[in-house]
Amino acid sequence: MVEKARLVSKVLVHDSNPDYFDRIKIFCDNNNLIGVCAQNTNIMEVLRSNIDLGAILLSESTEDDPIGGIMLGLEIHELRPELPIFLRREKQSSLDGLDAGTQRAFATGYQIDAIDKLKPQLDEYIFSLYYPSVLVRGIQEITTDALSSQFKEVTVNTNTPYIVRDRIIHGELFSLIPIESNWCRGYLMLLSDENNMMDMVKMNKTAIQAEHADFRSMNEVFAEITNLVWGTFKARYIEDNETAKETVLTQVPIIVNQQHKYISFGTDEPQLCFKYEMHDTSDEKHQPVVLYQRFIFNLNWSPDDFKEIQTSVDDLLDSGELEFF
Amino acid sequence: MAQILVVDDSSTVRNEVTDFLSSNGMDVISAVDGQDGLKKLQGDPSIKLVLSDVNMPVMDGLTMVEKIRSELNSNVNIIMLTTESSPSMKERGKAAGVKGWIVKPFKGDSVVATFKKMVGA
Repeated sequence: MVEKARLVSKVLVHDSNPDYFDRIKIFCDNNNLIGVCAQNTNIMEVLRSNIDLGAILLSESTEDDPIGGIMLGLEIHELRPELPIFLRREKQSSLDGLDAGTQRAFATGYQIDAIDKLKPQLDEYIFSLYYPSVLVRGIQEITTDALSSQFKEVTVNTNTPYIVRDRIIHGELFSLIPIESNWCRGYLMLLSDENNMMDMVKMNKTAIQAEHADFRSMNEVFAEITNLVWGTFKARYIEDNETAKETVLTQVPIIVNQQHKYISFGTDEPQLCFKYEMHDTSDEKHQPVVLYQRFIFNLNWSPDDFKEIQTSVDDLLDSGELEFF
Repeated sequence: MAQILVVDDSSTVRNEVTDFLSSNGMDVISAVDGQDGLKKLQGDPSIKLVLSDVNMPVMDGLTMVEKIRSELNSNVNIIMLTTESSPSMKERGKAAGVKGWIVKPFKGDSVVATFKKMVGA
């Protein structure tokens, strides 16, 4: 029996009735959701600054309008159609009474007294895929080691891994590398801000010579981190000579829209995400460099077939050592 | 005239390894892929050790090793420095004439003495 990883997801919460906040918070806490509260006046701003959401909880009314939440939902759906919107209703728990076009913008309706009935919807929209905890823990270890090996005098911190449905790209810099096995097929993506990463290069925290550094040299550092994570992932989790199950290996186009900082892997499935913060131990005043990591198993995800390769784990202990033939 | 040829498409790795080996008294040149590595090796008969990545564009490291043995007829020492660690990949390297294998990241202190011995420094 594969032990499933505990994952969280960030949800944007906007409700017109402050009396319900506690109940919504308890629901979030009980269901691994991290609620981000927004007011009527700042919800679109909060939405813009939170680009790694799993869902949205709205009430049908706003403080000043009995159907203000519905209008807000339509606006949000227009901007971020990947995000399921759960609509708290006053008189019924379904979306009945809304026209068909409006209903399409919302995942479902609920009443506050029956908020727990949203649980299956969370499983359907956010926690639809399960991830072995050994894998999730291993990814964090691998990535932390890779970052520690590429940056001098840093400590790497990581939070609980999370699930996002958003398709928005963080920062200016991202790398993609395919992952192919008989239990998973998809991509590893790393994302970061160019400026923060460049600062590390300029402060001589990498193997790049700071005086000659430009964005290309920073790209090289980023590429090497990607390479290290990918290589160790393969060594630890993909059997030697293992090939993907399919005789004909399918592919789908990956679409990047630079104007909207949007990336699509052709699937609605949520993505497994990690956030790493690198703190400069030589100058604690320096802002941490944040690196986001996403796994998008858009072509195959069969966690029941996952297994850690024990021999490779042993080999990893010897990384950096010379093995003579 | 160099003693060691470092072949890696990543300038980060090339810099890191080159700086480390140079600071330990070894003469190092570098190449950006397998094809460049073949050219550099052919042009410098003093090279005693090739340290190469596996996954590179244009020509991968193991193909380069095979060509070093078959086309250049060189018996230079070759060590792979790579994220790859699968037995089949190592087997292929061994069959091609690779002498050793290091899984990245590079930790120079643990190999410097061996490298010095290989290049006669």
